[in-house]
Amino acid sequence: MNETDTAALRTEALTKHYGDFPALVDVNLEVRLGEVYGFLGPNGAGKTTMIRTVLDEIRPTAGRATILGLDSHHDSVEIRRHIGYVPGDLAMYPNLTGHDTLTFFSNLRGGVDWSYVAELSDRLGADLSKKVGDLSSGNRQKVGLIQAFMNRPEVLIMDEPSTGLDPLVQREFQAMVREVSSEGRAVFLSSHTLSEVQRVADRVGIIRHGHLVAVEYLSDLRTKAMRRVDLEFDSPVDAGVLEAVPGVRDVSVDNHRATLSFDGKMATLLTAVAQRYDVVDINTREADLEEIFLTYYRDAAAEGEVTV
Amino acid sequence: MLTTIYAKTIRDRRLGMTIATSVLALFMLYAMAVYSDIDLSIYTDLPQSLRELMGIPEGADAASLSYNVMLSAMGALTLAGLAISMGAAAIAGEERGGTIGLLLANPKSRTNVLVSKITSMVTLIAAVTVVLWAAGLGIPALLDVEIGQTHVGAMMLHLGVNSIFYGFMAAAIGGWTGNRSLASGATAGVMVLSYFAVGLLPLIESLADLARVFPWYYYNASDPLVNGVDWGHLSVLLAGCALLGVLAVVGVNRRDLRGQSSGVTVLDRLRANPATNRMVDRLAGSTRVSRLWIKTASEHQGLLIVVSVTMFAVMGVMLGPMYSAIEADLASMSEQLPEALIAIAGGGDMSTPEGFFQIETFSLMAPIAIMIVTIVIGARALAGEEANHTIGLLLANPIERSTVVLNQVVAMVLYAAVVGLATFAGVAVASIVSGLGMSIAGIAATSILVTLLGLLFGAFALLLSAATGQTKIAVYGTIGLALASHLLNSFLPLSARMAGYAKWTPNYYYLSSDPLINGMNWGHAALLTTLIAIMLVASVLLFDRRDLRQQ
Repeated sequence: MNETDTAALRTEALTKHYGDFPALVDVNLEVRLGEVYGFLGPNGAGKTTMIRTVLDEIRPTAGRATILGLDSHHDSVEIRRHIGYVPGDLAMYPNLTGHDTLTFFSNLRGGVDWSYVAELSDRLGADLSKKVGDLSSGNRQKVGLIQAFMNRPEVLIMDEPSTGLDPLVQREFQAMVREVSSEGRAVFLSSHTLSEVQRVADRVGIIRHGHLVAVEYLSDLRTKAMRRVDLEFDSPVDAGVLEAVPGVRDVSVDNHRATLSFDGKMATLLTAVAQRYDVVDINTREADLEEIFLTYYRDAAAEGEVTV
Repeated sequence: MLTTIYAKTIRDRRLGMTIATSVLALFMLYAMAVYSDIDLSIYTDLPQSLRELMGIPEGADAASLSYNVMLSAMGALTLAGLAISMGAAAIAGEERGGTIGLLLANPKSRTNVLVSKITSMVTLIAAVTVVLWAAGLGIPALLDVEIGQTHVGAMMLHLGVNSIFYGFMAAAIGGWTGNRSLASGATAGVMVLSYFAVGLLPLIESLADLARVFPWYYYNASDPLVNGVDWGHLSVLLAGCALLGVLAVVGVNRRDLRGQSSGVTVLDRLRANPATNRMVDRLAGSTRVSRLWIKTASEHQGLLIVVSVTMFAVMGVMLGPMYSAIEADLASMSEQLPEALIAIAGGGDMSTPEGFFQIETFSLMAPIAIMIVTIVIGARALAGEEANHTIGLLLANPIERSTVVLNQVVAMVLYAAVVGLATFAGVAVASIVSGLGMSIAGIAATSILVTLLGLLFGAFALLLSAATGQTKIAVYGTIGLALASHLLNSFLPLSARMAGYAKWTPNYYYLSSDPLINGMNWGHAALLTTLIAIMLVASVLLFDRRDLRQQ
């Protein structure tokens, strides 16, 4: 392992084509140790292709990926000593019990700390005595999560990991993810469950049509003061006036009420509208990730591809 | 009837059917070319009774011989096998695949779905039969071969109805149990057992009538090729189809549908029982998952047990007394046979125990038995993990892809060795118990060679599986190669001009040296081993360099 390279996961111009179809295009991405990286994108954007390429299940058309400084292809076996993985479409061996399954993977890894397995199983409320084929999908997912966490991997790569989990277990899972990063390990979390990413991630990368269109700190997104603002006026209002204010977007007007996203100083907005209308009421709140996400998509669709 | 389900099933199955039909038609063409090339007097000079026994019509000709060779055993078993696979999958296959819930969430009844699936099975088998019929008429015209008195259409009709019968049987068992493997395994067992019973029982005068109990009797005991359609026999099969069809419908409607759940095995019950828990837990739990190859080996243990016991008991031990009982008949029969015909039967002189076992056990059944287990492991080893979406999780562990391949090879070798050993033990016990005085070293040599032959085709299945990640291609491709190799090796020696080419088939290196009599041919064993090694190395290399499939 390269000591000077502290990136948990790095891709350099990673590209993967399926025939003529570009599933990943020039993706440059870095996940640092100690962080939770949320990887967002709608279905078919390239999230799973990205993960499968990094894990050497499929080989890049161009570019490369490293995990902990190790080449994803040449050092793939060494890499796998340091990672835990939950595939998106989790399937396991239906004839084996949860315990057999974990024993099997533990044997392939050369042993595991069983007291830690018991602790994880307790926290998630997993039943390891039943055959995996007889478990509901949520309970099967728990077994999948345990096998990924059980060897305390330095890098955890998870594709839609909370699929099928009930809200209480999801919360426990999120706590486990935070603990991993607080111990200086890294989590790469692909998801389209925005609320979950919002709760656990330090940074998010947004992928669209195989292009990484944005990478942002969650804290930046918040301090960027992207806000949703609801305004009520004493008379019907013209959307064009609001849209003309710098930093305003996504305006929707309903007679004398307006809702918009605003990125800037609140005084600028208030001064601009007060010149034309009387503001009766104002209500602002932080935009959540979903709104930011949708905004990115709308912009990207409007302006064509953005490369970062 | 649901046209969507009907059409989808046909679409899903047409590849296998097309391959099987093409192979059978091609070999009919080939067999006819060979037979029209050789002196047929060895057949026409046979005594009438013997000729009838072999199903060769008056004034035997190249055409009827080829029909016979292609359709009485190989073709009929293949076609019935395809029908079984469709019948077994009808409802049980959807249950295994976890798709039954979605399918039946549509406003259609279980009966409706089942009938559509069975109808598609009947349609495909009928289509194959019609194509083979056309081939059976077209090929002689092409080669300018006289077909004389042969009733090709009658033979094909019997062939089709016979196949459909087993399809219905599989559908009935699948309908009642919801277990696809059980349905196809049990039906295939009935089919093979009745095939042999109908072949062997008539040789023993006192038991000859017992053959009527077995369904295969109604396929060709009436010799449709010679005598035309036997409507009585056909109606027995058709009545059987109707009965089994009703059973299937009743079975499907009266029980709970299964989820993808794997069901409860005897081991599971023992594991749950406190008295046996510790021991069984170690066996079924920790030992089973201690190594990748042990886990693979544990997955098909039911199949291994059935195949091994069949080879040991039915194709081994039980044939000893059978041989003793019919020895005299076989001797007188073989006295009447022209020398040339004995040579054609692969040196298998039925009047000697070696010849008898070579023809009954080793020539066809033993290679098939070993190939069943090696192909299942070879084809499912890598492609199966890909189809089940488990390969990603497996390879997220710190193991090389080559390690995965080699572990599957270990399981495959183990399985082949167990079946080979069971075959050896069965024949050896038969020889000792019935005092046949066969060479034990010869039996061992033949068993080793057949194990190597089975491994060769298993390695080919693994190679296709590693290269493509598709179980279907691996299974069909290997069966195609095995069928081609077997048929070429059987037919080529009939023509003096082409005999030399038999050396290009793997099967040549199995029995051509008469290992039952002459003992081990190390050269042949080494050649087979080398071929196996080459294919395994190629499998590792090909698997290592390709993208894994996601579905």
